[in-house]
Amino acid sequence: MTGYPSKDSADELDALASEYVLGTLPAAQRLDVKNRLVTDADLRAAVDAWEGRLLALTELAEPMTPSPRLWGRIERSLTRHDRRAPVQTPAVKPHAWWDLLPLWRGLAGAGLVATLLLGSMLLTRTAPVNPTTYLVVLVAPQNQAPGWVIQANNPEEIQLIPLGATQVPTDKALQFWTKADGWQGPVSLGLVKPGQSLSIPVNKLPPLQPNQLFELTLENPNGSPTGKPTGPIQFIGRAVKVI
Amino acid sequence: MHDLYTQESARLLGVAKRIARSDALAEDIVHDAFIKIWTRAGSFDPARGTARGWIFSVTRHLALNFMRDNAHIIQVSEQSESAVLAEAALDVATEVDTFEYRARSGRIYGCLEQLEPARRNCILHAYVDGYSHSEISQKVGAPLGTVKAWIKRSLVALRECMG
Repeated sequence: MTGYPSKDSADELDALASEYVLGTLPAAQRLDVKNRLVTDADLRAAVDAWEGRLLALTELAEPMTPSPRLWGRIERSLTRHDRRAPVQTPAVKPHAWWDLLPLWRGLAGAGLVATLLLGSMLLTRTAPVNPTTYLVVLVAPQNQAPGWVIQANNPEEIQLIPLGATQVPTDKALQFWTKADGWQGPVSLGLVKPGQSLSIPVNKLPPLQPNQLFELTLENPNGSPTGKPTGPIQFIGRAVKVI
Repeated sequence: MHDLYTQESARLLGVAKRIARSDALAEDIVHDAFIKIWTRAGSFDPARGTARGWIFSVTRHLALNFMRDNAHIIQVSEQSESAVLAEAALDVATEVDTFEYRARSGRIYGCLEQLEPARRNCILHAYVDGYSHSEISQKVGAPLGTVKAWIKRSLVALRECMG
């Protein structure tokens, strides 16, 4: 059983294959066959045939339930391998196995579903995480003194933050307005209490635009009777995109 | 992959355990087999056999490689060796079958039936237990050369029987 000529007769090749599959080849010869399998198609065919012939003998080994840890170990290793993404180029018929094996197909299907699921989750989640952010500084029209800041880093709501105390006559109220280029007129965002931060939902408005106008006007305690600004402008500013 | 694991892990572990003769080692082998199957699924060619067969082959050969590569480390202890010899003497004397192969279906079993029990045991010790020639020789109590020749001829006979 030593030394196989490179050109084996069919019988010798088959004998070699059979002992390789049976497991009785010494270590050095096993390794030799293993290496030859990569390039030697005849040997490979002979080995495959023997694998098929003897496969049923695996039934003679009593099944043994694996310890609960084993799957976890395999899963962790698979995850590591996935990250390394080994590229295995199939030598022949790259997709043939795909069509014939429900097992692998199911596997890939599950992977695809997981990918799509995670991908769509990622997409829907990143939108609010990294939106276009706007900042507006509202200043008094007379002296350009900044009075309020508007932060809009969330498409759902904007925040109006006072920079100082604002004096409002007792019989009057501050009303908050906005108007983007192309709009018919200003839209009310509600009444504002001097010196208090306010979060205003804006999901019913079109998305913020650069240069969009914001202003606070002095109106009646219940707000403008006409739905449009009627009193003097107290603070005014335009939206600036924050990079 | 988990489906495959649920379906085959116990059988694969059984196969690995018989050859590796250690629970922990068998689990290592099954672990490695699954990684290999996973990373090389793309190179599987159905023209070469069934996927299930491939998985068992991968597991068996990993176990066999380990045993052959570490053959100098793994030694049958003296006590178990004598036990093996005693058992072997019994096998040869009475020509008792060591394996419960008769109740099985599958062409291979029909063909094994036609071999003499001692030779049949050699084949099964090799395939199922992963024994080397010399281990089988000890186990069945026959000279090494005889065992080698038996196995060689038995394989040819199986080939003829099975086609």
